[in-house]
Order: sequence, then structure tokens, then C-alpha cells
Amino acid sequence: MNFICNIPFFSILLSLFSGTVCSVLSAKAAKIVNRVVILAVGLMSAILLLYLLSTGESFIYWMGHFPAPWGNEIRAGVLEAGMALFFCIIMYLSMAGGAHKLPGEVVESKHNLYYILVNLLLSSLLALVYTNDMFTAYVFVEINTISACGLIMIRQVGRTIEAAVRYMIMSLLGSGLLLFGLCIMYDLTGHLLMSNIKESVGLIVANGEYQIPLIVSVALMCTGLCIKSALFPFHAWLPDAYGYSTVSSAAILSSLVSKGYIFLLIKIIYRVIGFSVFNSTRMIDVLFVFGLMGMIFGSLSAIKENDVRRMIAFSSVAQIGYIYMGFGMGTQAGMVASIFHILSHAATKSLLFIAAIGLTDVSGGSRRFADLTGSAYRNKWAGVAFTAGSLSMVGVPLFSGFISKLLFAQAAVQVEGKMLASLIVLGISTVLNAVYFMKTVIRIYTATTETPYEGITFRHMKAYAVTLVFFILLNVILGVSSQPVVDMIGQGLAMFA
Amino acid sequence: MYLILLSILFPAAAGLFLLIRGRTPLSGEKGNTDRKTLLALTGCFLVITASLVFASLLTVKEGFTLFFLTKTLPIYFRIDGVGRLFSLLAVIVLPCAGFFSFAYMKHEERESRYYGFYLLVFGVLNGLCFAGNLITFYLFFELLTLSSMPLVLHSGSKEAVMAGLKYLFYSLCGAYAALFGIYFLYQNCDSLTFTTDGALRASAITQQGGFLLLTAFVMLLGFGVKAGMFPMHAWLPAAHPVAPAPASAVLSAVIVKAGVLAIIRVLAMFGKDFLRGTWVQSGWIILTLVTVFMGSLLAYREPVLKKRLAYSTVSQISYILFGLAVMDETSFTGALFHVLAHGFVKAALFLCAGAIIYKTGKTRVEEMRGIGKEMPLTMWCFTIASLGLIGIPPTGGFVSKWYLALGSLESGLPVFGVLGPVILLLSALLTAGYLLPLTIHGFFPGADYDYGSLQKKEPCKLMTVPVFILTFLSVLIGLFPNLVDGIIVMAAARR
Repeated sequence: MNFICNIPFFSILLSLFSGTVCSVLSAKAAKIVNRVVILAVGLMSAILLLYLLSTGESFIYWMGHFPAPWGNEIRAGVLEAGMALFFCIIMYLSMAGGAHKLPGEVVESKHNLYYILVNLLLSSLLALVYTNDMFTAYVFVEINTISACGLIMIRQVGRTIEAAVRYMIMSLLGSGLLLFGLCIMYDLTGHLLMSNIKESVGLIVANGEYQIPLIVSVALMCTGLCIKSALFPFHAWLPDAYGYSTVSSAAILSSLVSKGYIFLLIKIIYRVIGFSVFNSTRMIDVLFVFGLMGMIFGSLSAIKENDVRRMIAFSSVAQIGYIYMGFGMGTQAGMVASIFHILSHAATKSLLFIAAIGLTDVSGGSRRFADLTGSAYRNKWAGVAFTAGSLSMVGVPLFSGFISKLLFAQAAVQVEGKMLASLIVLGISTVLNAVYFMKTVIRIYTATTETPYEGITFRHMKAYAVTLVFFILLNVILGVSSQPVVDMIGQGLAMFA
Repeated sequence: MYLILLSILFPAAAGLFLLIRGRTPLSGEKGNTDRKTLLALTGCFLVITASLVFASLLTVKEGFTLFFLTKTLPIYFRIDGVGRLFSLLAVIVLPCAGFFSFAYMKHEERESRYYGFYLLVFGVLNGLCFAGNLITFYLFFELLTLSSMPLVLHSGSKEAVMAGLKYLFYSLCGAYAALFGIYFLYQNCDSLTFTTDGALRASAITQQGGFLLLTAFVMLLGFGVKAGMFPMHAWLPAAHPVAPAPASAVLSAVIVKAGVLAIIRVLAMFGKDFLRGTWVQSGWIILTLVTVFMGSLLAYREPVLKKRLAYSTVSQISYILFGLAVMDETSFTGALFHVLAHGFVKAALFLCAGAIIYKTGKTRVEEMRGIGKEMPLTMWCFTIASLGLIGIPPTGGFVSKWYLALGSLESGLPVFGVLGPVILLLSALLTAGYLLPLTIHGFFPGADYDYGSLQKKEPCKLMTVPVFILTFLSVLIGLFPNLVDGIIVMAAARR
């Protein structure tokens, strides 16, 4: 076996152990370790991706060299490696963009705790991406929940504790349902490894046995993951969790954590249940309808919001709705669009969170729209970045948001029964997006003369400004040269089968 | 290739440069020199851009692909007949209105922002005219909305911001409705590159003809928003008057024409043969005729001059759309001719209105008694331009309306073939009704007018010269229609 095949395992372990190591380090050392680990994992994932692209096929890695069905397995294909690489990029940028805020948000003594949590989060995300074993997936779902909860709570304000408790309850409910579904599946098939379960499910379906338990199991797993990824109407935990936690946490939570669960769901659909079996259940219609509702209601809530960060958080609800709508179409094209939107949304949403913090900082820390008036003049870089993010969200060509909308629409046109519904809702949601994002952009560019707040120049926020530039570049690259990415997604999905 | 790219990127870059650099507030001694450099810079940028555009109009023959957005969607540029015509309009009106702004914007704040976005709009318009396929066109169409919105809300008053938002939402809704259609075209065409006579696959027409008709109608409505077509015209009378006068001139004369250009492109994609005689054509003609009549009527009842001109734009743009909807070669020529005629005339009228506001501060029509005695040159231009809009020979408006009516009669459409010219005539009467009183009361204020308080208020050359040029052009194309005919014939054949 090629040495490169060890990379998935290495990257999970590296981030897991670096988390442990951080607990004995000073805050500064922990920060360096954290950055280095993210970079190292990102670099390794990039190498892995290149390797997989050159060989053109996925591989399965036996943990401890026990063959299936006894051993635990890791599996890597183009999609997994690409996802891992992308997660690392976003995580690094989010950490870099929020670093200057950390001393103000988190008590000094808890800084290394913060980095422990981030490293654990990374390891659990990587494990969710790479694992080929349902029970391992469940374990890391729990690790992910705990660390995410810690990330919300580490900024100790009343609202964050409330938000964290809320998140905990909803999330545990989600993982509970996932576990139920998993148990039923284990009962039906006698396996925990994804490939083996899929074989057995194929047999069960072919024989026409146990139809109802199978559907119940699928429904439980889907619902569990939907709750965890904040699909409407399970989004109640989201605005507080994203709106009040530290800025890096908000960016990471919105763009990575929920995406990790969605990616797990994609794996379950393709590798556990099987795409055609999943499509034959009514589950996709349910996902489709709730996706559409999320797209509208998320945006409506965002319009009513008077707090810029909560507004961005509510817009996530709408964007998650887009992703589930893509699942609900039940076609390969819909799935490709959804996965592209995972990338595009991750890049845009973290950009918006990071840019918003720059704007609120020069407005006396207030997030109310009235105080944000003219803030783009006080912090020019953040203003430009926020505008770019908004344009991408609205779906203006040359930004990533346009491509994902294009892909969704192309996918929708191919599905007879769902075409009109999805196109119309896509249209309404785009216009609603434009309403609140453009409103904000105009607000931050409305000049005021009598403002009590100081501006900030490039010299005082070099790292921050550079991060923003990278984020914008990422968005534009996804928007301008999307074809290689889309090809890669298609190739990755083909490897899933 | 480089000329096209330059004519798009140079003004855009120059605009961005002004936006980024123009942070210092312009006031006091130092502000004065600052202002001079700003104006000199903007002037240079405008002239360079204009010459770049002329150079590309004259020399560039080949289309080229810049890059691929996705595998089958190239960003593709090409200059064809229609694009050349619209670009010609833009490249004349924008510098004229730009130089006019140098005087007009003297007392306004944040001039550098205004000029920055003005140059951006210039670049985007060039991109729009030179776009070679539907997706490139859509790209610039969206950018045009975004870059022209700051011109609308320039004054920053509550009214202006609301009008800007209205403009934004109407335009985005329209653009999205059009995008919806682009998705279907993408499915049913071999490519989205502009063609002359329909790009739909034959199989698609037989299988989903009905649905494609619906798509065509949605696209016409969607792009019609930008052209101020009923029922989505409400943004236009709100947004155009609140902008500074030179910006209103550009909005009314050039930017709404982007909607017309879009509709011409859409028609070409679907092909006239596919749409002729269908419910889409009848529905569309009804909408345009309603708009023509309603716009004139509203303008007739409107007391504020700039608003009156905005309503008149609503009505006049639908003359053009009517000519397109009839789908006859003669009326098509008329429509294209009216693009130029209306562009020059409306820009001149708005600039005159701007000069009046700048010099006297009067905005309502009834206050303008005796204005012709105070500003004779301006009002002479206003009068001549008005005659052009009404369609009295020898102005350009006459030629275009002649072709429009002729084409409509020739087309042999039941009912509309005859009804159309009748409504056009009625609307022309109304046009005379809402424009000429200004001239009449301006030059003949009546016996009770206090001649003692009369002052010479003629504006400076920076203001009068652009108005002269535009008025002169509007008459010139009427006197020598053959000058334009060459371009139009080329555009009509859409080579």
C-alpha cells in the first residue's frame, strides 16, 4: 500500500492528539500548534487529492489490518480529500480572521481550551469525512457536538450559555435519532461497515422484506442529521448559537460543522442505503419540501432581524434549505449542485461573519443596523468584503453564489415534477436575499457626519485584511472557474457508488 | 480583442480608482484644487474611454472567448450590428452628460463617488453592448443595475434611498425572471451565442412549444422591467427624477435601453418566426400600447418637470418595444432608429431640465413662466428636442415614427396593425401637450409677466455645449437618415 494512503488516518490522529497536547501548552504555543496542524492537514489533503486524481480510484484503508467485516475502515476518494482540503482552508481563514478578537471574547486562561476544542472539531470533521464505518461516524458526531458546544460556550455571556444549552439539547436529540436509526439498521443487516450494509440493504430490498423497518431507519437517520444541520423547522438553535459565539466559532460553526453532518448524510445516502433505494423512499420528497420552506422562511426571518450577525445566521437557514432542495431532486445533477453549494456557502458565509465583525468593531461593538450606518467607510476592507459576500449570496455572476444557483436551476430543469416549484422558490429566495443583503450594504455605505466611532486603517489590521482578501479570492475563484470543481465533485460521486 | 477588453476594463478601473482615492472631503482652498484635479482626471478618463470604444467599433471584427464560466458557458464578446448601434448611443451620450456634470455637480457632495460610479456604468454599458452570448449579457445586465443604483441614491435623502431600493428590487426581480428563461433556453438551444433567427432546436419546438412560448413571455416581461414596460414601470418615474440631472439623462437615454437591447437579443434567440402570430405577440403588443398611452397620459398630468420627462420615457421606450413586437422589418428599422432619436432627445431634455434647476432652482412646470426670456439658448434647445420627441419633421423622431407606423400597417396584423399607429398618433398629440406648454409659457409669459425682474441666467459653456451637441444630433439624424441607415440596415440584418 502506498504511503500516501496513510494520510487520512494521519490527519485524523494528528488533529486529535494535537488537541490533547494543547492542554499543557501556553495559550500562545497552543495557537501556533493549532495553525500548524490545520496547515499540515490541509497540505496532506492536497497531496492526497492530487494522488487520487492521478490514480482515478478510491481506496479503503484497514485500521490495524483487520479485514472487513471485523476491522474498522477508512475510505478516501476525490470527494473526501477535496472536502478535507476545503474544510482546512476555511478553518484556517476563519481562525486567522477572528484571531484579533479572541482576547476580548475569551478569558485569557481559557485560550488553550479554545484551541483544544478547535483541534478536536477538526479531527471529528475529518473523521466524518473519511470514515467507512457507521459506528465510528456516530462516535465522531458526538465528539463534534461536544466541541461545537464548547466553542459556543467559551465566550461566557448569558446569551451564549443559553444558546449552548439549546444547541446541546437539539443536537443530542439529533444524535439520538441517528443512533436509533443506526441500531435498527444494524439489526436489519448485521453490519456496521458502510459497504457491507449497502450489500445487505440491496438484498433486503430485492427480497421485499422488512420494508417498514428499513424506511423507519432511513427516516430516523435523515431526521437526526437534519436537526443537527439546522434544516427548517429545526433551526431554532441556530441564530443564537451563531449570533453570539466568538466570531471564529460562528464562522466555523456555520460553514463547517453543519456541512460535516450534511456530508455524512451524503455518505449515508450513497454508501449505506444506496442512491436508488434512497430515491425510491418518500424521504426525498420530505427533504425537498422542507428545503423549499427553509429557503423562504429563513430569508423572511433574516429580513425581520435587526441584528446583523443574527441576520447572517438566519440566512444560513435559507442556504441549508438550498442544499436539501438539491438532495430532494433525487438526481445526480441535484446532488452535484448541493455539494457545490456546500463549498460556495462555506466560503461565503464565513466571509460574511468575519467581515461583519470588522464592521461592528468600528461601530462601538453594536450590531444594530442604526449603529452600522457608514461603517464601511470606517473599515474599508471589511466593507468591501461584506459587499462581495452579499453579492455572492444574492447570486451575482462572477461570484460563487451564481454558479450554485445556475447548477440548481440546471438540475431542476431536468426533474419533471419538481421543476416549477424549485425554480419559483429559487427566484423568490434570491429576491428576498437581495432585499436584506442589499439593504445592509446600502446601510453600511450611507455616509454619516456625526458619528462617535473611530475608523481603522490597514496598518492596524494587516492579518485581518489579508484574510478577507483570501476569502474574496476564494469566492471569485469558485465563481469564475467552477468547472474543475464541478468535475471533481462528479468524479468523487462516481467513486462513491 | 484587447480593444474590447480595454474599453470595458479601463473605465471600470478608472471608476474604482476614483472611488478608492476619493476619500478626502472636498472643501476649502485645498478642496478647490482637489476638485480641479478630479474633474481633469474624470474628463481624461471619459475621453480615453470614448476613443477606445470608437476604435473598437471601427476595427474589431472577430469575436473572442475570454474564459469559460462552466464547460458550456463561455464569457464571449463580439461586436454585431445591434451592439454597434447601442454602443454608438452610449458613447455619445455618456461623455456629453459627463461634461455637463462637471458644472452641475459643483454644489453636490461626494463628487468623486458620483464620477466613480459614472465611469463604472460606462464600462459596464460597453460590456453589455459587446457581449456575444446571453450569459455574458446577463452578467453585465446585473452589473449595470448594481453600478447605476448609486447614481440614483446619490443625494442620500430618504426619498432617494427608497427610490434606489425600488429600482434595485424591480430590476432584480426582472433580471431573475429573465434568468429563469435563460435556464430553459440553455436546455433547448445548442448554444447561447446570439444568432439572427432563432437558436431553438427544432425538436424542442415541437415537443414543448407551449412551454417555450411561456418562457419567451416571462423573459420579455423580465427584461421589460428595465425598459419600463407596463405593468412593471413604477420604478422608473420614482428613480429617474431623484438622481442628479445628468445621471437622469444617462438613465433615461441609455440605461433603460439596456432593456430594449435585451429584448432584441431574446427575440433573436427565439426567432421571429417562432413567436409571430402567437399569443405572446398579441399580449406583448397590448402591453406596449397600454404603456405608450398610459405613459403619455401620466406625463401630461405631472406637474414636476423631471418626473414628466420620466413618464415620457416610459411612453417613448414602448414605442420602440411596439416596433419590435410587430416583428416587421420596417418597424424594426423604426424601432432601432427611435433608440437613437429618443436617446439624443431625452438626454438633451434632461440636461435642459438640469440647467434650469441648477440656475433657478425651479422644478415645477408652472413656475417656469418666462424661462425662455431668462435662458433663451437652453430653451431653444429644449424646444427643438421637444419637436423631435413629438415627431415633427425634420427631426429624428419623425423618421422613426414614420417607419414604425408604416411597418405596423404593412405587417397585416389583425386589429393591431391599424390600432397601433392610431395610438402612436394620439400619444404624439399628448407629447405635444406636455412638452410644448413649457416653450409657449417660457417664451410668451403673457402680459402680466414682470419683465423688470428678468435676469440673464444662461448657464456656462460646460452646460450648454453638451446640450447643443445632443440637440444637433437629434436633428441631424432626421435630416440625413441615410447616415444612420447604414448602421441600422446592418443591425437589421444583424450581421
